[in-house]
Amino acid sequence: MLGCSDLTVAYGDIVALHGVTLQVRAGETVALIGANGAGKTTLLQTISGLNKVRGGHISFDGSPLDSLSCERRVRLGIAHAPEGRRIFPGLTVEENLVLATSPWRPPGGRYGDEIAQVFELFPRLKERRRQLGWSLSGGEQQMLAIGRALMARPRLLLLDEPSLGLAPRLAEEVYERVGRIRRSGLTILVVEQNTVLALAVADRGYVLETGRVVLEGAAAELKRDPRVREAYLGR
Amino acid sequence: MRSLLGVAALLIVGLALSLIVSEYTLRLLNLAVVAAVAVVGLNFAFGYAGLISLGHAAFVGLGAYVLAILTTKLGWSPWLAAVPAVIGTGLAAAVLGYPLLRLKGHYLALATLGLNVSFGIVATNWIDLTGGTNGIANIPGLTIAGHELSGERPFLWFGLAVLAALALIAAVIHRSRYGRAMMAVRDDETAAAMTGINVTRMRVAAFTLSALYAAVAGCLFATHIHFISPDDFSYAHSITHLAMLIVGGEATIAGAILGAVLLTFLPEWLRVLGDAYLAFFGLMTLAILIFLPTGIVGLATRWVRRPAPPQADAAIGAEEASRP
Repeated sequence: MLGCSDLTVAYGDIVALHGVTLQVRAGETVALIGANGAGKTTLLQTISGLNKVRGGHISFDGSPLDSLSCERRVRLGIAHAPEGRRIFPGLTVEENLVLATSPWRPPGGRYGDEIAQVFELFPRLKERRRQLGWSLSGGEQQMLAIGRALMARPRLLLLDEPSLGLAPRLAEEVYERVGRIRRSGLTILVVEQNTVLALAVADRGYVLETGRVVLEGAAAELKRDPRVREAYLGR
Repeated sequence: MRSLLGVAALLIVGLALSLIVSEYTLRLLNLAVVAAVAVVGLNFAFGYAGLISLGHAAFVGLGAYVLAILTTKLGWSPWLAAVPAVIGTGLAAAVLGYPLLRLKGHYLALATLGLNVSFGIVATNWIDLTGGTNGIANIPGLTIAGHELSGERPFLWFGLAVLAALALIAAVIHRSRYGRAMMAVRDDETAAAMTGINVTRMRVAAFTLSALYAAVAGCLFATHIHFISPDDFSYAHSITHLAMLIVGGEATIAGAILGAVLLTFLPEWLRVLGDAYLAFFGLMTLAILIFLPTGIVGLATRWVRRPAPPQADAAIGAEEASRP
């Protein structure tokens, strides 16, 4: 479904990704793990169209994405719940969600089914639907960011560090929901520093180090891999 | 519903005032209504889309000059001349917007300020067309069904009706998907793009809408005063428009109108201060920015409803620090 081949991205002179090749097949959940600064967020942002590609290609459903703007990629079905949530603080929870329907919804069109699904997944958002974004707790903001991405009717969901800054119990709660989204059949690419959580939910994983893929394989294998255990699982 | 009530209140208060106040106050009310139309427009750019424009008066002036030239040089009726005045100003804003709105924050403020200064230079020096510093006199007034809106009172009624209609349209846009999209762009443009919003197009749309309202204000101004000159549209007026919006309460239509009325009357009420008025005005604006960041309207709603947001992007900024 998604393919990155030999992708190179740089910020000025600093090369953030050195020829990354990665595949996400329809229906699977892929985890991208690695330390701070490994280039995980850069890769997701590049798939979303926020970064210029210096070399290599990205394709989605077999057609090239390289020349498409960010909002065109959302229209094709790539939705991104960004690092740091980036919800709209001056809009209510409901407005944040409804806004994300604009890629597919004609003026006056309905969005009742989509919002009901998000509220079923995250009942807390329903309780807070009239509250402004800034007044939510960190966990609620993360739920809103994921909910907002789901409102875009995605076929590929990009999640960037959904556990960032959350208490362990909240992070587990968020991942429990990610698991439910996965079981609904949606294809997911999740970036995460919390390797335990990410590998528990994923089918396959890639390990990124200083802009290069150093290891890839089934999530279960990665969990057993001595290098991963030593570097990321602390055992 | 709330906006309908608000507009009804505006019309009732305006009509009641129009029957009891002096001719001089009526004239000030008219100026306040014209300013309110311009500031409700500026609210699209600054309040919703977060674009700092210091060139709003140039669009008021463009509308006024097109109407004045078409009526005095070509003998068009002011009604007819208002159509190209408003549409032409909107087009100018859209064409200027595409390159200009790539800039942000201070840079955009400076660029729009430059736009306003350039407008003044053109209006002053293109003497054949604009009359230079002598301006354009004898602009005909509006007539409705054979009755000229000659006095201050009939003009105020007309101006109030225009303001009420434009405020309602603004309220509808505010609540529509386009209003939400503009505010999303203001809050976080990267996240807005990730949500599938065409950021550039929303910005240009907000800027163009604000210019359309400005042009209507310019047409009202020209047909009310019957005389325009470059001084009427200097950048100082743009700064006043921005101050009106901030004092009243940015991102609210009621705030735009309240601010326009207050800052039109304040210099009159404080005439005793003489030249010290500017110092007072500066201190007052400073005090409002510090103690009432959401303006007069914010003060009212703070008591009635939810608390005002703190520095909205602080929470996000804190997490930016941990980017890889």
